[in-house]
Amino acid sequence: MRGVLATARHWGRQGLRRLLSSELELLRSAPIRDAGHGYDLFGLEPERVALMLALLGQLHRRYFRVRAHGVELLPTRGPAILASNHSGTLPFDATMLWTDVLLRRGRIPRAVADFFVAGMPFVGTLFTRCGMVGGTPGNLRALLESGEWVLLFPEGVPGIAKPIWKRYQLQEWREGHAELALRHRVPVVPVALIGAEEQMPLIGHLHKLGSLLGVPYVPIPLTPFPLPVRYHIHYGEPLVLHEGLHPEDADDPEVVKRAASRVRAAVQALLDRGLRQRQGLFR
Amino acid sequence: MSEGATTGAVRHRPPRGVLLLGATTPLGRSLCAELLADPSIQAVLAVALESWEEAKLPADPRLTYQQVDLTRPRRMHRLLFGAARDLGVDVLVHIAMHRAYESGARVHAQNVEALRWILTLSERHPTLRRLVFRSSVEVYRVQENLPTLITEDHPLDFSTEAPQWVRDRVEADVLACMRMGMSPVEVAVLRCSELLAPGSGSQLHDYLSAPFCLRSAGFDPMLNVLSLEDATRAFLLAIRAGGTQGIFNIPGADTLPLAECIRRSGRHSVPLPGPLLAPAYRLRRRFAGSQFSYRIYRGRFHFAAILDGTRAREVLGYVPQHPLQWPVGP
Repeated sequence: MRGVLATARHWGRQGLRRLLSSELELLRSAPIRDAGHGYDLFGLEPERVALMLALLGQLHRRYFRVRAHGVELLPTRGPAILASNHSGTLPFDATMLWTDVLLRRGRIPRAVADFFVAGMPFVGTLFTRCGMVGGTPGNLRALLESGEWVLLFPEGVPGIAKPIWKRYQLQEWREGHAELALRHRVPVVPVALIGAEEQMPLIGHLHKLGSLLGVPYVPIPLTPFPLPVRYHIHYGEPLVLHEGLHPEDADDPEVVKRAASRVRAAVQALLDRGLRQRQGLFR
Repeated sequence: MSEGATTGAVRHRPPRGVLLLGATTPLGRSLCAELLADPSIQAVLAVALESWEEAKLPADPRLTYQQVDLTRPRRMHRLLFGAARDLGVDVLVHIAMHRAYESGARVHAQNVEALRWILTLSERHPTLRRLVFRSSVEVYRVQENLPTLITEDHPLDFSTEAPQWVRDRVEADVLACMRMGMSPVEVAVLRCSELLAPGSGSQLHDYLSAPFCLRSAGFDPMLNVLSLEDATRAFLLAIRAGGTQGIFNIPGADTLPLAECIRRSGRHSVPLPGPLLAPAYRLRRRFAGSQFSYRIYRGRFHFAAILDGTRAREVLGYVPQHPLQWPVGP
């Protein structure tokens, strides 16, 4: 019985590899630090990344029809922090940005999620296999030191939970990304996501049900599925926040605040420009 | 908490004599053999609860064996100020934690009080200069809002709900750490990843000995496990790293998800809703006489906990080099 299962698993894996050959080929150049059994220290698994890329790639191409602007501004090597606006009721914006960076640059951005995500069964594990990490300074330090790209949404949950009438208005902008950038001397790439803010208008939150389920709230969207809006992803010029500063300046709250404000202003400017250029919600 | 550790190459100072508490554990036997293989070590004083015949340690003129119950302070005093002093022991290695999942005053005495006596006695000991204590990954708190990669300053598990097995280990660890810099004896605490070897008291090994391994549905956290070879090497480096003290995480060469760990052990993974696991494993312990306690592992069955060995690499020169041979023996 065990032999049959092992053979079935082997053949299943071979078949999957054949199906995902182009995605796996793309990942071949991605810097993945295998900890010995096909996973990195945080649980990323290239095969699962390839599978998700194949699935999300369809959404990226056919459903949200993502257009990227300024891809050439993404650093060619070394660690970086990608800081973006966050919206859309469900995190399709994060998955589209993850897919876009992977498809266009062949690097796996390590999305930073709120702690409750890791505590969600199945979802937490799936995201972890695709490179998600919990947003603790220790995790992010380790990733940046090993040259990874960290994908952050400084608005956090309030960003994704904002009502439709607050679209494209950045919510409270957290400062952790700026502190990280200063301490580890890495550039911050501002990113603006246009389209996600209208994909799934939110009409309410169920906070009590959310706390029972271990999440901040359960959203009540106007539509059961996201609308097929066109996504425009605008990558900005990398900001070298640490220029003229020392790593220990990351302990100065004023310095960190100023640095975070620079990132916020850069994201807002990209949003404004992107909205001006957009010809319609679905175009 | 950790103090006195230097970065860069460590001055390796071979000890004259080594007192090894817990010599009949798998790690103890392995360490004993390696210490005896080093001609610069003049004496090895091996100590365990078993008789010499049961201990089955290698016969060597430099090896002295004593059967001592560590829960008896008077015997401990006699050991340290008798044989250990006479043999010129300058390094004490303490790896004699209670291995079974039991509780009570006697277990606490072995896990915590014995170390307290050792630390007190060693301060006025004429020859002892260094203490290497084996701690473990279980002392760390594991939850979703804490880093996956655990450094030595990670929060410890002071939870009142933790079983005695964990509380004893945390107390002993803190006890050893408190003496760093306050005692004339150098203290090195090695917080080891799960040593996946039979007879080593590994909870994970006991868990993997069942044909069906229950795990929390929807969770597949990353684990790091340590081989006997790497554990032995880490202790040898710590024994010889004279002039340094501090806390050192000792990770193993295998980092893999729990389900993969189960698969490589040739077992069947059975995902169950989390709340069912505690009663299932309580029943298993009661009726099958197993040692595995879900209470100890609850955090690590949901969230990844990987030791960061940077400090051990930089200070001791320890890098895990020996992956496990899967499946690990019974």
